[in-house]
Parts: sequence; structure tokens; C-alpha cells
Amino acid sequence: MESKRKNVLHQVLSIRGMGQVVTVSAGLLVLCVIFGALNPNFYSGRNIANLLRQIAPFIIVGIGQSYVLITGNIDLSIGSVLGMSCMISATLMTKGVNPWAASLITMIACIMVGFINGGLVSGFKLPPFIATLGTMTVARGIAQLVNNNMNTDAIGESANGFRNFFYYGKTLSLYNTVWVALALWLVFNFILSQTKVGRHIYAIGSNIEAAKLSGVNTAVTTTIAYIVSAFCAGVTGLITCATGGLGTMDAGTSYELYAVAASVIGGVSTLGGQGILLGTIVGACVWGVMQNGLQFVGAPVALRNIVIGIIVIVSVLADVIVRSGKGKKSITRFLGVSLKIK
Amino acid sequence: MADYIVELLNVTKIFPGVKALDNVSFNLKAGEILALLGENGAGKSTLMKVLSGVYTKDSGLIKVFGEIVEGLTPKKAQDLGIAIIHQELNMCSHLSVAENIFLGREIVRNGILAQKEMNAEAKKILDSLSLDIDPETIVGTLPVSKQQMVEIAKALSTNAKILIMDEPTSALTAKEIEELFKIIRKLRDEGRGIVYISHRLEELRYIVDRVTILRDGQFIKTMDFKDTDMREIISLMVGRDIKEKYPRIECGVRKKIFEVKNLNAGRMVRNINLELYEGEIVGIAGLMGAGRTETSRAIFGADPKDSGEIWLHGRKVTINSPADAIREGIVVVPEDRKKYGLCTKLSIKNNISLPNLNRLIMFLGYINKKQENIMSQTAVDNLKIKLTSADANADSLSGGNQQKVVVGKWLANNSKIIIFDEPTRGIDVAAKVEIYNIMNQLKRQGIGVLFISSELPEILGISDRIIVMCDGRITGEMLASEATQDKILELATKFETKLA
Ligand SMILES: Nc1ncnc2c1ncn2[C@@H]1O[C@H](COP(=O)(O)OP(=O)(O)OP(=O)(O)O)[C@@H](O)[C@H]1O
Ligand SMILES: [Mg+2]
Repeated sequence: MESKRKNVLHQVLSIRGMGQVVTVSAGLLVLCVIFGALNPNFYSGRNIANLLRQIAPFIIVGIGQSYVLITGNIDLSIGSVLGMSCMISATLMTKGVNPWAASLITMIACIMVGFINGGLVSGFKLPPFIATLGTMTVARGIAQLVNNNMNTDAIGESANGFRNFFYYGKTLSLYNTVWVALALWLVFNFILSQTKVGRHIYAIGSNIEAAKLSGVNTAVTTTIAYIVSAFCAGVTGLITCATGGLGTMDAGTSYELYAVAASVIGGVSTLGGQGILLGTIVGACVWGVMQNGLQFVGAPVALRNIVIGIIVIVSVLADVIVRSGKGKKSITRFLGVSLKIK
Repeated sequence: MADYIVELLNVTKIFPGVKALDNVSFNLKAGEILALLGENGAGKSTLMKVLSGVYTKDSGLIKVFGEIVEGLTPKKAQDLGIAIIHQELNMCSHLSVAENIFLGREIVRNGILAQKEMNAEAKKILDSLSLDIDPETIVGTLPVSKQQMVEIAKALSTNAKILIMDEPTSALTAKEIEELFKIIRKLRDEGRGIVYISHRLEELRYIVDRVTILRDGQFIKTMDFKDTDMREIISLMVGRDIKEKYPRIECGVRKKIFEVKNLNAGRMVRNINLELYEGEIVGIAGLMGAGRTETSRAIFGADPKDSGEIWLHGRKVTINSPADAIREGIVVVPEDRKKYGLCTKLSIKNNISLPNLNRLIMFLGYINKKQENIMSQTAVDNLKIKLTSADANADSLSGGNQQKVVVGKWLANNSKIIIFDEPTRGIDVAAKVEIYNIMNQLKRQGIGVLFISSELPEILGISDRIIVMCDGRITGEMLASEATQDKILELATKFETKLA
């Protein structure tokens, strides 16, 4: 019995990337304990439910960014695609289009941005940073354009079903937003970990030349990753629209970076080839808990930003040190090579 | 003839500025091992990349199993039954052994990867190679020689009828090579056609049936191996006779110039003591993974030392970084030139001048371009580096010429001690002799030469004194005149036998 349990534990831990997930989960627990001690209301059912709903968008954009990061690329257009999605869907709804039809049209537009990103990076071999910097600007421009450089009016009564589905409604005492995130996570985690496309995504990030020579269609696979990223950003845009009940032009600003943060805190490597989506969930939770917790204990915005930024650096640094076993070495090197640590 | 499984007719391939293949014809029969030989840059890899769909030919005809094929891609070549082991390792280091073996042709059941099945299949293939590797091991954690074996396993697993091996043995240990040869012979006896590319000409007699020779992108000759000899092969490859494969010069050992005392750096460098005298080349022999590279890196300051002293010309020197070492004139020509030796995205010229910029800098840090040109031209001339332009990227050169660039940048640095780590790996006979001559020339000038090599004939042929390492320790030392292959091998496996 004991040995069997050990075995299961061993198996779970031997899953690639699990080490970082376990460490970060422990960190997450510590954070929750600290915030709980500072303000016991942190644990109230209401706050927990709200907290999870706040975390959900980070999970979703994190999934998309993780896909792209694992291929060894980056997607800077996520925040703008989110904003574009929010504005297009809201504008259509205020013009009387059925909310679900509006959502569908919006998603098609978003996926097209993903397709263009993928094409620029894998087809035309543009550096991903530049390519998505460009589409980031264009997508934000589209967000501003669709309603003549104005935020939209309220999307109205007819959109109540839509708003319930993405934000206000609850199923089994969890907000629907959380369910949407979990459903997307299940699907995309399955694809990444169990299917050929997923395997090829890792292979490309690890060694694109080797993947190509093994017959992997690197262009198609890279494009798929970008489409997933844009899709996730699109869904998050719909959530944002449902949340506010209107379209805001600057919705999603900086979300591409939150998505990077959720991914790397959870152990996804920005150099590609490494990381699992379970980590991305944990990373998104850390991000969300920090935001919510610091707000809850009344920390000013400036302090929040500083603390959260440090968290990102520390969590990645911890990973680098643990993984390479070269902690001592890199620290000595950083502090000046002549320093002797006994 | 009908029994050719591959026929290449008048294939031409032009890269910007180089005619890599000029009307080359080539053929391969079922059930033979064909050695494709030629100097660095002769076009061997290019020809095989054309056949395996990596490069597209500019003109010519490709016939596989008698059928003309057009528009080859790596995938299409795979489907035709062509497998290639590339000269450079091509592994996804974050993926497992099994995942690498099945990359691009994963087994899928109902849309889901059949991981267990692939692991089991991989295990079978590894077993057939007598490789004791868990298929779930992450490839990046394996030593280079094992990675190379995995690469071979990957090619074999495709069950290809046509197998191309581009220098498969350059990173393998003697035992693994033996194992590989057994398998190659077995594959031949099953009726497969094998193209074997190697610069280790001593290997040929164990496996080869026929040789085809290229020079400067042109087909020179094909002949049965039994009808020829090394002399002829070499002179056809090089285009002239090579008098001596291991030219040795004597110049009398003089004063001590370099000493390493009690050097420790991690598990692979334990209590290393060595001395170097003016006018000698000291060879460091041992198997792959004996700690020789780690030792050179510790001396060079690339890895931190735990303890130990380094003395140069009777003076204790402090080396904590490569910059310190270079300032003192102690340099390393590293074994993995792509990873450690070259900035492949920089030009050849910039690579040569990189460690020597101090001497090129004028006022306000301005780099004297004229001096830089002269410096690079001198290196190119001295080492006979074959290139189209010194402004081309370093990775446009063939393997051997890349290696010469690495040597060139240190020669321009007026170094006092040069550690050569496997300098002839993947280098053709003529260029090998050039590298030996360079080492000899340095020895005559009083520059200390440490020569790390896994190829015993060259260690025996070139060094004056030989140090043997095993498992991070020095296990023996002898004069070259007293050394034999057996003596060295015994010392090189001193701790291995105990482990086994
Ligand atoms: N991708 C490339 N771009 C430009 N030039 C290339 C490229 N690949 C090879 N070449 C050039 O083509 C010629 C033939 O190179 P190739 O790699 O086929 O030589 P090789 O016979 O395999 O040499 P080695 O024994 O060193 O591996 C060389 O002059 C090389 O510089
Ligand atoms: Mg080659």
C-alpha cells in the first residue's frame, strides 16, 4: 500500500516540468497563508469566488502564450487581440446583432490575426518579437477603428444571456468564467500533451532544425500555436466585454505580458521546448492571488506592481538555479568571479 | 545496371558563390556499404542532403529504385525509404529518447499519441543496438556519444532501405564503434544500401565494399575497395600524394613553461597535475567522457575551479575567466566548434579578430578595419582556409574549414599555451596533416601544446609525451616512444572495468 502510493507520487513527479509546478504550488500556498493572516476575510467564500473569477482570464491568455513560448516564439499581440475582440463583439451587439453570432464573427477575426502572426513568423521568417509587435499595433488600431475611436454604449438587455454565460452566471457554485477557463485548459492541455501537434510544438521549440529534418511541418505547427494564442485572447476579450457590458478600446492592455508571467512562473521556458499547462494554471493563480491579495490588504498600486514584478523574476531565477544546479556558480559569477564561496 | 537502388545523374547544386556540386554522378547498390570520401568541402554532405530532400538540386536527375523522383522533401525521402544521420547532431534535447526516435512519424491511436507503444518500440530498437538506455530519458541529459547512438537508432527505426551515415563515428567510443560496425554489416547482409561518410580512413577496412571519391564538388572516381589502397584513396581525395600521415619533428625538450598543480573542478577534474616543457607536444589520451574537456575548460577559466594552481613561465597566474586566460596567453581550441568555438552568425573575419580586438582598437574604441583584414588574411593563408570570402558567415564553411578558423583566431593572438581539444574531429586527411604541421610549428616556436584526442594513432604519432585520463583523474604518463595502443587503452579504462 505504502509502496504503491510512493509509486504514484513518483510517477506524478517524474512528469516533465512537474518539479517547477510543485515548487510554485508550495509558493502559492505560502502566499495564501500570508494574505489570510493579514486579512482573514481573504478566505471568505465571496472573495474566493471572486478571486477565481479574476484568475480565469490570466489562465486563458496564459494557455495561448504558453503554446507560443513552447515553440520558442513569443506573441506580443495578445493584449491587443483581446481589446479587438472586446470592441468588435460589443460594437456588433450594440448594432443589434445576436450576441452569439457577434461572438462567432469576433472569434473569426481574432483567429485571422493568429494566422497572420504564424505566417509572418514561420513563413516569412520574421523575428517573432517584431512580427507580433506589428500585429499588436494593428490590432489595437482595429479596436479603436470599429466604433469610430469611441468606447461602445452598453450592450443592452438582449446580451444578458451572453453576459451570464461569460461572467455573471454560476454553475455548481463556481462562476461560469472559471468553467470556461477550465474547459479551454482541458482541451488545450490534451492537445499539447497527448497529440501529435502537441509533440511537434515541443520539438520545434527544442530544435527546429531537427524537427524539420524529421519531417515535421514546422510552418503549420508554429501557425497552429499562434492561432491557439489568438483564439485564447479572443475568448478573453468576450469575457471582458461580458464583464463590463460594453466595449472599451484599451481593454487587455499589457495582457500579453501577464500571459508571459503566468507561463514562466509556471515553468514554461521562454527559450522553448519546456513547460506544461498545469504550470500555467498555477502561474496564473500566483499572479491573480498577488493582485487580489495585495489589493485586499490595502497595498497601494505602486507597491503592488513592484512586488509582482519581483515575484516574476524570483520565480524564474529560482527555476534557473534549481534546474542547472549551478546556483552557486551563477551567483558567484554575478557577484564577481573572484569572490570565493567556501 | 538494374540493381542500383540509387542513381544520381549529373547533379549540380550551387550555393551563393560556391558550386558545391558540379555535375556529380553517384550510385548505390542494394547490399553494399559504400564509402563516400573527399576533403572538407568536397560536397559529400551536400550530395547526401540532395538525396534526402534537405536541399533541392539545381539540375540533374535523381532515381530511387529505378524511378525518377522530383521535388524531394525530408518527409518524401523518408517515405521512399531513405534515412540519413546528419553530420551534426540533430536531436530535440528536451524530448525523450523515444520521442526523438519517433519524431515526425509518431504512432497515433484515435488521435492520441500511443506513448507506451512508442516507448516499447524504442526499447526494442535500442536493445538491438545493445544500448542500455531508458527510452524515457531526456536526450539532453545523455552524453554526446549516447546521443549519437540515439540518432543512429532513430535512422534504423525507419526500417529504411537506403541508409546514409554522415560521419557517425566522430563522437563515439571504441566500443560503440565496434557495435555500430556489427549492425552496419548486418544491415548490408539484409540487402540494404548504406552510404558511409568518414574522415577516419582506418575504419574503412572493417566495413567498406566500394568507395566513391569527390573533390571540389566533382566526381573523381568509384572503385571496389579491395582493388585499391589507402595511398591511392588519399591521393585521389587530395589531388596529390601525402608523404607522411603523422609528420613528427624533434626539437629537443628545454625548460619548463607551464604547470598545473592539484587542479580540482567538480567530479570530472580531480587532482590534476601536469607539466609542459618548451619544445614538446603533450597528448592527453582517454575515452570520451574521461574529463579531458572539463580539465581544459577549468584551466581556461571557462568553468570555476575548486582548488589548484597554474604556473606559467615560473610565475603563478590567476585565472578566473577566459578573459584572464587569454590575457595570459593560455587558450583552448574547443571540441564542439559550433557550440564553443565559433560565433556562427558572425563573419569569418570577425571570428578571427574577436579575441584579438585589443590589438585592433585605435582611438575611441574604433576598430582598425584594415588591420582586421590583414589579420584575417594572414590566418586564412597560414591555415589554407578554403572560403569564398572572409566576410561570409562562419557557418557557411565546411566542418574542417570551420575548425581552421577557430585555430586561426588563437594563432593571431600570440598565445603561449594552446590546448587543442579534439582538433581533428571531422577533418579530412590533408587538413589533419596541416593541423599537425601547425602544432609542430608552434612546438618549434616554443609554444606549449596540449593535444587532447580520442584517436590513438594520431596521439601516438604526434605527441612527444602522453598523459592518460580516466574518470576525471590522470591514470598514467609515458613518453611517446614507449607508448603502445594497448598500454594507453588499459590506463584509459582503469576505473571502467571496476565499475562494470
Ligand atoms: N548551406 C550552405 N550555404 C552555403 N554554402 C554551403 C552550404 N552548405 C555547404 N556549403 C558549401 O558547399 C561546399 C560543400 O560542402 P559540404 O558540407 O557538402 O562538404 P563536405 O564534403 O561534407 O565536407 P566535410 O568533410 O567538412 O563535412 C563547401 O564549400 C561549403 O562551404
Ligand atoms: Mg560534411
